[in-house]
Amino acid sequence: MLTSIKPKTRTILLYLLVPVAMFVFTVFVPLVTALVYSFFEWKGGPRKTFIGIDNYIQLFHDNTFWVSFGHNIYLVIACIIGQIGIAFILVMMVNSKLVKFKGMHRTFGFFPSTISAVCLGLIWNMIYHNNYGILNWFLKKIGHPELCKVWLNETGLVMLLVSIPLIWQYIGYYMVIILSAISAISTDIFESAEIDGANGVQQALHITLPLIKNTMLVCTTLCIAGNMKAFDNIYVMTKGGPGTASMVMAMYGYQVSFQQTNMGYGSCISVAIFVLSLLVIGGSQGLIKYLTREKEA
Amino acid sequence: MKNQGTHKVRKGIVGFLMNAVLLIFSLSCIFPIIWMVYSSLKEKRAFNADIIGLPKNPTLINYIRILTNSDYHLGQSMWNSVRTTGISIILIVLFSFIVGYILARVKFKGNRLLYLMFLMGMLIPIHSLLVPIYVVFKQCGLSDRWFTLIFPYVSFGLPMGIFLVEGYVHGVPVALEEAASIDGSSFSYTLWHIIFPICRPILVTVAIIQIFSCWNEFSFALVLIKDVGLQTVPLALTQFKGQFASDYPKQMAAMLITMSPIIVLYFAFSKQIIKGMVAGAVKG
Repeated sequence: MLTSIKPKTRTILLYLLVPVAMFVFTVFVPLVTALVYSFFEWKGGPRKTFIGIDNYIQLFHDNTFWVSFGHNIYLVIACIIGQIGIAFILVMMVNSKLVKFKGMHRTFGFFPSTISAVCLGLIWNMIYHNNYGILNWFLKKIGHPELCKVWLNETGLVMLLVSIPLIWQYIGYYMVIILSAISAISTDIFESAEIDGANGVQQALHITLPLIKNTMLVCTTLCIAGNMKAFDNIYVMTKGGPGTASMVMAMYGYQVSFQQTNMGYGSCISVAIFVLSLLVIGGSQGLIKYLTREKEA
Repeated sequence: MKNQGTHKVRKGIVGFLMNAVLLIFSLSCIFPIIWMVYSSLKEKRAFNADIIGLPKNPTLINYIRILTNSDYHLGQSMWNSVRTTGISIILIVLFSFIVGYILARVKFKGNRLLYLMFLMGMLIPIHSLLVPIYVVFKQCGLSDRWFTLIFPYVSFGLPMGIFLVEGYVHGVPVALEEAASIDGSSFSYTLWHIIFPICRPILVTVAIIQIFSCWNEFSFALVLIKDVGLQTVPLALTQFKGQFASDYPKQMAAMLITMSPIIVLYFAFSKQIIKGMVAGAVKG
């Protein structure tokens, strides 16, 4: 036999051993560990007591956790509308013949998505700062100093304020993905539409959007997966506060595990994050598929 | 005639508005960095007096203070980040190549099972691993070492790399390996001397995507690294936030230093980077 295509099993095993072992050790071992410890009361010390599903019962009644989950969903929805929606509109503009500096818009727009969430969180902290922030400076400049606030202390506004940096950061990212999908569409279609008298908005809604449906689905999935794991921005900007007004699941799990050193309950929260994230991602994909099928029929 | 005239005017207005909106957006993306660059040249007092104006007496004092004061550990953090990112990238590229190629070409029992396992790795919400990974690493004595972060970074980077390579190898004709084999080339020789050069473009893509995510990664570093001497750049920055809470120019200088490799890399290779990241996102 051809040894280069059908190598010895031993060779294959040797090649696969290290990567697979490393992967299993870092991904699957912790998952199983979390599942095991979620049935224990364990405050971080040497004593672990088996308590059955008590942690899960506590979780079910834990208001903070469900509020955090709600905030994750809020972020998901805000970012789908904000990131993908705005990105689509901007892409339509960039594609117009009337617009100049297309390359620059792409390079600058994409830039924030390469910067770490920590840096961006710090930058936006500076923008929102009550004494030295740009936002308050701007409000004073336009003659409305009475609107100045300690922005991130506003319970009612804080979720909106933390989602703005998130949305802003990734608009350029989705713009580029959508742009590359549109560039694959044949220009004949747009030319004939123009001859038929379709204006820009009509072309965007009735020609472009249906043709890049799959790309939009990919974007939506990326967006959902990305925001279910929101942590870095929140940690830097508010640590979940004021109170629990901007708490998200990962942040809550972190606080319970490391600040209250309640590792048993923290493990239980980890399992819950795992299950809920998969449910939301899977559920939304099913929903989108169902909705788009309906339209075709 | 008149109709065409108003049409032209309308077109002009629409064009102007679109250009304006896009320019505002693009500038907003770049403005924070520019603001930081010139503000970091101000002294604290000058900044507090006027947060938006250009510096009247530009000074590098903030940079000098940060880089010479060993309490801040910034140089050490930079080195930790470079080392962790560098080793992680090499391992991710190497492992993605090996596993991706084997999954694409070699038929063996468990091939699909392995494929599925790595696919699951992509679907797993990694933040659910934050707490358990700490527990496991602590118990195995693996936390707070210089190599600690390489484990999660490589493991979380692998699935996407493997799928990119696997897809790429499917596009390479098998005849190539058959010919090599007839000429007496062994599996390893074919792998490293024939397939590796062919896969170089996709491996560059994998490396690009991962450089950014490793350099910027924060949450696992936060959980797994407690030793100040081992912390990576994002972790060091969150500490600065506490240390010079109201000294913004200093904070900005520190951030710019840590961002500089990323900024230089991005603006030098923005075309390839954008292409690579998008390919990774869409195919992965």
